[in-house]
Amino acid sequence: MSEQDQIVFIVDDDEDIRSSLSRALTKRGYNVKSFESADVFLNAYDPDQSGCLVLDYGMPGMNGLQLQERLAQKDYLLPIIFITGHGGVPESVQAIKAGAIDFLEKPFRQSLLLEHIDAALKEDQKARASRARMNSVHARVDTLTKREWEIAHMMAQDSSNTSSKQIGLSLNISPRTVDHHRARILEKMQVASVAELVHLLITAGLVSK
Amino acid sequence: MRISLGAILAICLAGLQFIAIMTVVFSSYLTSEKALLNHAHDLLSDVGTNTIEHSKGFLEPAYVAADLATRLAENRIVASDNREMLEALLFQQLHIAPQFAGIFFGDQNGNFVYVMRTEESGTYRSKIIVRDGDARSTELIWRADDYAIVDQANDPNDNFDPRTRPWFKRASAGWDSIWTDPYIFFSSRQPGITVASPVVNGSGVIQGVIGVDIEISAISSFLAQLSIGQNGVAFILNRNGDVIAHPDAQLIKTMDEDGTLRFASIDELGDPIARSAFAGLAEGGTISVEEETSSKFQHDGKTYVSTLMPAISEDLPWTIAVYAPEDDFIGGIKENRLQNIWIATAITLAAAGIGLLLANRIHKPVRAFAVRAALVSQGEVSASDPLPKTYQELEATNEALVQEIARRRKSEREYGRTFELASRGMAQIMPETGEFIRVNAQFADMLGHSTEDMQKLTIHDVLHPDDANAFPVFAEMAHDDYEYSQDMRYIRSDGKVVWLRVNAIMVRDDQGNPIHAVATMDDVTQRRDTEEKIRDLNRDLSHYARVNVMGQMATGLAHELNQPLTAITQNVDAAISTINETESSDPALVEILSELDQQAHRAGDIIRALRSFVRKDDGAATVFNLDELIQQSLRLIQPEATSNKIDISCSIDDVPSVIAIRIHVAQVLVNLLNNAIEAIAEHAPDRRQITVYAKRAGDFAEISVRDSGPGISPDFDAFAQFETTKTGGMGLGLNISRSIVEDNGGQLWLKDTDDGGACFAFSLKLAQALDDPQEADKPDNSQLTTAHV
Repeated sequence: MSEQDQIVFIVDDDEDIRSSLSRALTKRGYNVKSFESADVFLNAYDPDQSGCLVLDYGMPGMNGLQLQERLAQKDYLLPIIFITGHGGVPESVQAIKAGAIDFLEKPFRQSLLLEHIDAALKEDQKARASRARMNSVHARVDTLTKREWEIAHMMAQDSSNTSSKQIGLSLNISPRTVDHHRARILEKMQVASVAELVHLLITAGLVSK
Repeated sequence: MRISLGAILAICLAGLQFIAIMTVVFSSYLTSEKALLNHAHDLLSDVGTNTIEHSKGFLEPAYVAADLATRLAENRIVASDNREMLEALLFQQLHIAPQFAGIFFGDQNGNFVYVMRTEESGTYRSKIIVRDGDARSTELIWRADDYAIVDQANDPNDNFDPRTRPWFKRASAGWDSIWTDPYIFFSSRQPGITVASPVVNGSGVIQGVIGVDIEISAISSFLAQLSIGQNGVAFILNRNGDVIAHPDAQLIKTMDEDGTLRFASIDELGDPIARSAFAGLAEGGTISVEEETSSKFQHDGKTYVSTLMPAISEDLPWTIAVYAPEDDFIGGIKENRLQNIWIATAITLAAAGIGLLLANRIHKPVRAFAVRAALVSQGEVSASDPLPKTYQELEATNEALVQEIARRRKSEREYGRTFELASRGMAQIMPETGEFIRVNAQFADMLGHSTEDMQKLTIHDVLHPDDANAFPVFAEMAHDDYEYSQDMRYIRSDGKVVWLRVNAIMVRDDQGNPIHAVATMDDVTQRRDTEEKIRDLNRDLSHYARVNVMGQMATGLAHELNQPLTAITQNVDAAISTINETESSDPALVEILSELDQQAHRAGDIIRALRSFVRKDDGAATVFNLDELIQQSLRLIQPEATSNKIDISCSIDDVPSVIAIRIHVAQVLVNLLNNAIEAIAEHAPDRRQITVYAKRAGDFAEISVRDSGPGISPDFDAFAQFETTKTGGMGLGLNISRSIVEDNGGQLWLKDTDDGGACFAFSLKLAQALDDPQEADKPDNSQLTTAHV
């Protein structure tokens, strides 16, 4: 996914804000799509579409924070930059804690907004790549048999104690059988070494450090 | 003073008795007196009548004798010239009528024969005068009873002539018998009268006059024998006022200077009682009594009754006068009356004595009861002690009294305990003077006195001077019946003022006269203070509410303004991008647009400052940077200062963050700045300068605002002004500012300045000074806050 494919989504109930902001950002070379309410945006948004969301906090109907919550519930990856006319400290704290890039008070410096948009787009890109990787690890783990996952998990859990003999003792099976499973695991997980496997599993969050 | 039962009984008994007896005594006395006096009058009248009859009877023979002699002479039985026969006839007549003193005959020639009794009884004397021309002879013959001559003599010196005598003249002139007035007989020196009758011969010529002398001393004797009461006297008055008969015969004769005897007149009578009764009767020369007259008179302190009878006859013009002392008739009953009075007095005294004894006897148990009642009332004897022997009625009374006393004692005990143990102050007060009769410890405590000291005070001594008019209202209760309930200030012994709520009622006796007021007191000082504080807070609150509304409006306004400002900045940005795309663009255009962008952002900054200024902090204290707050405040106040040509400078040391409710501090600071601007604007001094200082002072930050205005007059209490007088802005009163600072743990005060301007300062706690770990968590917030302001 290239940067050109990324879209800056604008959700603000104020027509003037929407038009001026989308015009300015378009002039700056961004792909911009604006929506007059959170509902309209939710209906229109394709979760696979990378980009970022410039979100007005105070809107009639669903407000910015509620939209943020809904996106999180749907597990949609989309970095959010809040803009607000009268945001208070508690609201900004909540928004940041829920993963917002920042909480900008109107009128904000254009440079600051652009900075945040660029950062958000980059982050989205990274997040989407990371999620794709994780998804492939999960897909490969799913191909392992129960016994294979057991052995892979034990190896990742205690990297200093990965000999077939010990694992065989723990599982009450012969070391040879363990060796056999190991070969199958490395093959299915498309890795060359046990160390690589452990890294993969930890990165995917399947094994705790 | 009440009279005792004994005295009443004695006086009543004796008095009633006395009145009863005296009524009977006087009634009978008056009746008897009247009857007896009537009787006395009758008696006197009878005496008069008797005397008249007696006198008439006494004189009757004289008529007869004179008549007889006259007829004898007229019939020539006796001739004057036959003197022996005449003498014999006269002698005979004299002999048979003992009351005759003498009998005589005189003729026109002056011859005279007179036979009379002599002083020696049983002897008679005859005097015979014979006249022959001028020659005359007088022969005196004394005879015995039997007419025998005892002696004989001649009197040559005698010159008596019958024709010169009054009786001769009157009898011969009147041709009829005449009575002479009584006179004293020459020879016998006895009172008497003469009856004379003319002797007429056949040819109607008066031959002579024959007369009879009658001694009337016998009438006096008769009068002396009369019994008229005990001391009554009857006497006879001649019409000329001479007393011719009187029981004391000696009194009627008096001797003239020439030695002749005559009758005493009533005016010179030796009977002083008769004199004082009848003197003056003969004042006109003659006594004239037409009818029987009764009268009373006083003599020498005694009362007499008297009666005058009219003249007996024409011939005997005699008036009978009778008098008698009243006491002769009613003396007895007078004496009796006196006796009765004495008897009545004695009975009265006896009755009084008996009454006293009786009363004493009756009264004794009553008195014992009274003494006991007195002892019971003094508490020396218990009412339940056995009663002395007494009457059934008193026992019943005692029973009732004992119950009443027990009830009262109980009530008094309960009242006393209520009074002493009451949780509120209680006092009994004289309504007229305000003296405390009785107070309980609670009341004394409220005013910081002992109960003993309180009883020496009056309500005036403890009433606050400003509430002194409360007492008259209180005193009015004595007259009107209403309850008194008022909050009043009182002064404690230590000089402090306390508010007492006084409820009072008047206690009255059965007649409704006020006895005293009972008052209960509650110390309401705290409550009143609280109420006052609540009032102040309410006032503050309404002000806060106003400020709050302004804050909300500012917030809404900020949002509304921010939207177009954002649109402006975005459009500027788009414009710049557009210009950049154009190759032949005017660089000035970009500059203009950049300035436009800056102006929009500046507007945004101002709005942001305003918003953060009125931002709701939910009343929670936060840690914030003082410098920043001061800058924000100055930014807000700057337009006002600029328009008033005032320069505001800052002198801010490096002060650590403070902890307080941010908006509160901002409000106070703006308020002080506003005040400073106004002070300078109003008084237009040469120097127009406001300086804001901030420095650290121990655990506090001290912020002061100093102006070059006229300063605050020492006698003006700037903090007493509750409300700001400013019409614009969000100014708070200094008093509210001070309470806001104090709520945030600091202080606000007026600082002394050396150049005359005013300088207000306030302090705030430094965040470092706090050890509270919860507060230490807050910097996160503050960072966020400051980051986005």
